[in-house]
Formats: sequence, C-alpha cells, structure tokens
Amino acid sequence: MKRKKQSVQSIKTVFTKSQDYKRICYENKITKLTFTLTFLTTVTDEKIVRDHILPFLLENEWTKLEDVKSILPIEDLQLTDDTSQIEKKLLNGFVMLTLEKEQQYCFISAKKENIRNITVPEVEFSVIGPKEAFVESLSENLNLIRKRLQVKELIVEQLEVGTLSKTNIVLLYLDGITNEANINTMRQRIKDLEVDHIADSSYIVQMISDNQNSPFPQFLDTERPDRVAATLSEGKVVLLVDGSPHAIIGPVTIVEFFSAFEDYFLNWILASFFRLIRFFAVAFSVLVTPIYVATLTYHYELIPQDLIGILVTSRRAVPFPPIIEALFLELTIELLREAGARLPTKVGQTIGIVGGIVIGTASVEAGLTSNVLLIFVALAALASFTTPVYRIGNTIRLLRFPFLLVGDIWGLIGISLCFSFLLTHMIRLTSLGRPYLEPIYPPRLQDFKDAFIRLPFYKQSKRPNQLRTKKASRFDRKNVIKKVKKDIDE
Amino acid sequence: MNRGVVMNKPIPEQKKVAPFMLFYIVASIQIGVGILSFQRDLVKVTGYDGWISIIINGIGTIILIWMIVQMTTTIEGDLLDIVSFSLGKWISKLIGLFYMLYFSLFSITVLRNYVEMIQVWMFPKLPIFWFSLVILLLVLYVVYGGFRTVAGISFFSFFLPMYIFPLFLFTVPHADFTNLLPIFDHSVKELFFGSYQMSLSILGFESILFVYPFLKEPKKAIKWAYLAIIFTISIYLYLALLSFSYFSEAQLVKNHWPTLTMWKIIRLPFVERFEYIGIATWCLIVLPNICISLWIASRLAKQIFFIRQKQALLFISGIVLIVTSMIMKRSQVLFVSQLLGKIGFFANYCFIPILYFITMFAKKVKKQ
Repeated sequence: MKRKKQSVQSIKTVFTKSQDYKRICYENKITKLTFTLTFLTTVTDEKIVRDHILPFLLENEWTKLEDVKSILPIEDLQLTDDTSQIEKKLLNGFVMLTLEKEQQYCFISAKKENIRNITVPEVEFSVIGPKEAFVESLSENLNLIRKRLQVKELIVEQLEVGTLSKTNIVLLYLDGITNEANINTMRQRIKDLEVDHIADSSYIVQMISDNQNSPFPQFLDTERPDRVAATLSEGKVVLLVDGSPHAIIGPVTIVEFFSAFEDYFLNWILASFFRLIRFFAVAFSVLVTPIYVATLTYHYELIPQDLIGILVTSRRAVPFPPIIEALFLELTIELLREAGARLPTKVGQTIGIVGGIVIGTASVEAGLTSNVLLIFVALAALASFTTPVYRIGNTIRLLRFPFLLVGDIWGLIGISLCFSFLLTHMIRLTSLGRPYLEPIYPPRLQDFKDAFIRLPFYKQSKRPNQLRTKKASRFDRKNVIKKVKKDIDE
Repeated sequence: MNRGVVMNKPIPEQKKVAPFMLFYIVASIQIGVGILSFQRDLVKVTGYDGWISIIINGIGTIILIWMIVQMTTTIEGDLLDIVSFSLGKWISKLIGLFYMLYFSLFSITVLRNYVEMIQVWMFPKLPIFWFSLVILLLVLYVVYGGFRTVAGISFFSFFLPMYIFPLFLFTVPHADFTNLLPIFDHSVKELFFGSYQMSLSILGFESILFVYPFLKEPKKAIKWAYLAIIFTISIYLYLALLSFSYFSEAQLVKNHWPTLTMWKIIRLPFVERFEYIGIATWCLIVLPNICISLWIASRLAKQIFFIRQKQALLFISGIVLIVTSMIMKRSQVLFVSQLLGKIGFFANYCFIPILYFITMFAKKVKKQ
C-alpha cells in the first residue's frame, strides 16, 4: 500500500511541474460527495469535460465509482486500481476521477483530436477514381479502410513502438487469406524495434526493411485508402502508423513501384501501354547519359557517320571531356529539383523556368555543354518523373551517377559491369523475405498477369503467387469465362 | 564425427531452386568464351565437315548426361556422395579436390579469355589485375547471395543477351551455303578428333553433379538438363553453319574470333561496329560461368576441408586473381585454355563413364 501511494505521489510531483496539469476538487450537489478530477488540459477536450462529464457528475446522485458508469454518456470508461496506468492514461487524453475513500481510479476518455479534413491525394493523384487520402489520425484512417472492406475477416492488431513517442501502430490483414508467415514476420519486426521516437511511417519503413543498405524501397507506402483496400484483398499485410498519412504495404515486388493505382481505373490495354512506357522511361532515364559518355569517350566508331556529324558539331566548342559535361548538367538538374522541392509551389515554378530555360540555353551558348546532351539530360530527368511512386523515382535519379562514373572509366564494359552489380543486388533483395524481382526471377508466369502489363480483370482470378496466400482464388473463373467465351450470335 | 554431420546437413527448402532452373544453369555455364572461337580449332581438323563433329559431340554429351542422371538419382546426392558410396570416403575427398582445382582453372580460363578479348578488341591497355579484381568482386557479391542468386544470374544471362543470336543472320546475304558441300569429306577419325576439339567449348555440364542437391523435385529437372544440352548444341551448330558459309576455310584458320568477326557486318540505323556492344553484353554471359564454377569450387572446399564456404570462396578467388594476372602473353592464354580442355576431357569423358560403371557395380554388390 505504501509503495502504491508513493508512486502516485511521484507522478503528481513530476506532473505538477507541467503547466497543463490540472487537479480540481468538486462537490456533488445532492450527496455532497467530494471527488477529484485530474487531467492534462492540452490533450483533453475542454468541451467534453465541461458538457459531458462535469454536469453529470455534479447533478446526478452517485456515491461509488461503480455508479459513474451508468450516469456518464461516454462509452470509454475504465475502472482500475493499477497505478502504473495513471501516467499513460493521463497522457492519452483521459480524465482521472478519484474519490478520497476509494483506492480505485476511474478513467474517462476525453481525448482532444485535431483532425485535418480528408483531402485529395496529392502524391498519387489520379484523374479518375476516388479522391480520398489518408490523414494523420489513426482512427480516421482505419475508418477509411473499414468502409471499403466490410468483413469481419479484416483484422486490426494494435502494437506500440517508441519509448518516448509511444506511437500506435496498427497491423492490418485479412484473416484466412493473408499468409501467416508474412503476418508473423511483420509483427515480429515491429516488436523487435528498439527506438525512442517515431515521427512518421517512413521511419518504420526504413527500420523494418530487409536490407537497410539498399537504395531500393522494399515496402510500398501509399496515401490512398482505396489502394490499401485493394492490396489487402490481394493478401498483403498493411501497417498504419498513428500520426502518419501513409500506409505501409508489404511484401512488394519491384514492378509494383511502376504501377500507378490509376492503371486499374483505365481499360487494360491503355493501362498496359502506359506501364510499358514507364518501364522504358526508367531504362532510358538511367542509361542515356552514361551511354552518351561511354560512346563519346571511347567508342565513337559505334555511331554511324551521319549521326556523329551532328554530335561533333554540337560538341565542337565544348572544352570539357564528356563526363564533366554530363556531370555538370546532371547536377544542375538535381539542384533545380532540390531547390524546387524546398520552396513554396509558386516560387518553385519560377525556379523551374529560370533553371530550365535560362541556365540551359545560356550554358549551351557559353559553350559549356553541347545541346545534344542537354536534350538527353532533360529527357532523362523528365523520364525519371514518370514513376508513379515517389520513392522509386528518387532511387532512379541516384542510380545514373554510378553508371556515369563507370561509363567514363571502362566505357560500355563498365556500364555492363555496373548493370550486373545492380542486377545481382536486385536478385538478392527481398521484401518481407519474399523475392523482390518476382515474377521475373524466380520466374512465375502466372504473376505476369499484373506486372509489366495488366490483363483484364476476368484474367485476374488468382491472387499473386508471390504472396503465398491461404486462399489462392479471388473468384470463380469458370462463370466469368462462360460469359466471355460465347459463340457467334448466341 | 560431429563435423561429418555438418558436411551432410540437408539443404533447407527455401535455398533450393525450381527444377527448370537447371536448364538455365547448364546452358549458361556451357556458353561462355569458347563459343566465340571454337570454329578455328574445328576447321583446322575437320574443315567444313565440322558441324558433323558438333553433332557427334552432342550425342556423346547426352550419353554422359544420361550417366550423370542415373548416378545422381540412384544415390540422391552430389558427386562426393556418389564417389564415397562406390569408392569410399577418402577417394571421394581426392576426387573432390581434383574437381575443386578443375573448376578454379575453369574460372581462370574464362576470366583470362574474356580479358584477352577486351584487350584485343576494345581496350589494348586494360589492366588485367584491376579488371579481374572488379569482376571477382562482382562474383563474390553474387556467390555470397547463395545458390539462388547464382541461379538468378544464370537465368538473366540466358535471357538478356538473347537478342544477339538473331543478329548473326546479318551474315546470310553474304553467305554461300554451298561451302558445306561435299559432306563427309573427312575420315571418321578426323571427325571424332574434331568432336574432341569441341569439348573445351561444351565443358560445364558436369556442374549437374554438384547442383543436384539444390534442386526442388530433382527428378523433374532431368528433362531440363537434356534440353539445355540440345539448346547449346543447336546454338553451336547455328554459329558453325553461319560462319562456315560466311568465311572461307583459309580465313577461318587464321581468325581467332570468327564469331566476333561476324558482328562486324551488322549495321543498324543508330549503331555501327556492333562488336563493342556485343563484347560489353558478353560480360553477362561470362559472369555465370565464373560464378557457378567458383560456387562449386568453394562448396567442394567446404565439404572437403570443413571450412566456411565464405572463407573458401575468398581464398580461391584470391588465387584466381593472382593466377589470372600472371598470365601475360597470348600464348600463355592459349596454353591454359588447352590445358583446361585436356583436363576437362579427362574429367568428363573418361572419369564419368568409369565412375558410372563402378557405381552401378557397387550398387549391385551392396544389394546382394
């Protein structure tokens, strides 16, 4: 008993240093019972305390803490004698009700929540389709997902991370569909985290990645609740972090980073075409300047006569070797991007125009770079922005620099070697222990239906092989095929 | 005794690869540097009848594969298990040591031949040591990823350079297929000697003996091994027929890299001198050769000397690096290639049949 008192006392002494700590005594009008309310004004909603707690406690007849349950119109009410809970509950926005004579504590939820309005997704904007994006509130985000998957199989598991931030993390999956091993790995990785403070889901993404020393993102994060619902029904595991407007999806493969969710809103032929264009754009973006540097430094015989004329003319006044020229332009583009990203939108646009037109033209006229390379670099930068997922776009922009350097050292052989390194790295990568390059390697023909191209929905009757789901088929394909395979004039 | 247990530790299921991966492994280790230059040695012996030698060699190889498959499926293990079953544990270690050295030499030959090719065709001053070091670092990175990564590199090295093979058809307008006539212009002895010459190019299929425990459902993998041999033989036949009809016999005898020379005719709207692109792409074809052979060599070292495969790999690649950079002259490169051809011929075409008969005999004896 003595220890208990002490711990309560120590909590009080720590809290009284804070200005927002309030401890007020009241007297019930009917029974003349004195009771104490303890709470932190910054995390509790004044309105709830004033309108929904105090009037009922003052004017109704009650003598025991037990009675409070029946008179208060608040459902989240807990009675406990566990002193260790006091600190956590107070900080969580609960009001503590205590009576002199009783050793129990009654916690009444009066959480203050500042929720931003649900807005249009900005990073993953789509012209067609739902326009809702996640916000910073966990309960609101869960609501957005539950709304889309109204089944009891959608399991919401709560975990907590961070000795200081006490961040709530929610693990979502469909019971009976999602692979147990995937769920367990994800849960275990969250539980194993040793960290004091979590600011955003991006912290978690980095800390639970299979290989933290890789430039490639190994989990997909999205701000679209519709995408989360779709991936959950595919059989993936999803994490939601309190205070973060991004959900984390795993396991993923490299090709998913090149599929926009809008691909599913378009007809499959168009969607497949756009996907292929994106893959081409990425290959172009990474390789075009390195190949320019390699061929112009070592293998100019490779270029046909008519073409080399143009190149020579454009490079005639340039005093630098190709690598310096290319690095200069690539770094300029990176500078523009970085400056644009740090500035407010309106100023950012001006920077873009100033950088793009003025610096570009001026450097060609000054003879610092050739205009052919300027075209290549600009196209490569443009191509790197076609990636629908922000994270992979950053990776793509980084990748061309090692290629540039090896292209300058060993020409095409260097590029080929660097490519082999990259390939090996991607073969070795895993996401939640599942191969990252799937369906290319290990080759699984079945999963190609939604990789480089997206086949029509009636062909997508099986869940991805990659996820090893408990229930492989999404719907009965036979009925669908009957409708599709009708004979002429039937 | 404890260590013996470590040696026979079963391979965990998630480290194994699908049965059809055997196709890519065998096909990718067989196509390497030999394919760029096999025509010369062939033509020296058999003239334009060389394609018959290729077919004879193919049939012989298929018979060998049949023997290998028979042995691996009855014993259900790799070469060391087979030899220790039929000849005892100590001899199995000796044989393992021999194959370890053989595969190290294999990787040296492939690596040094590739460097030689780059030096002659692209960068005459390419430093052998630094280039080999980079390639070996890449190989270390691959092999550290385990057998799945090695198999993955074989897989990609099969598909990514595929675009090269149709490009050889650029020679057809300039080819004269009547060169091949008359058929059977050479004696049977010459034809067989020609097929012996082919054996350096086709080496590598014995890797089945070592990768066998890493295959899921190995019985299903058998047909893929045969298909891989048929694939490589047809690629060799295709290149032989094209180069025989494109070059004259006298040219072929003088040309060290007929396959590479064929690329010179390729002309696309945006590319001339295709051989630069071809040689750069060849890096991907050479890579699995070295990866698989060093993987096998290091695994053998692990099984024989009870050391960690990582250490064995580091040690062996160090030696490969030193030996490769010590081979300076063209004549030395040729010597090493011929040495490997001879050892490989002995290891495959003499040892494997003998082992097959001993194993079958031992099995019968043990049954009784």
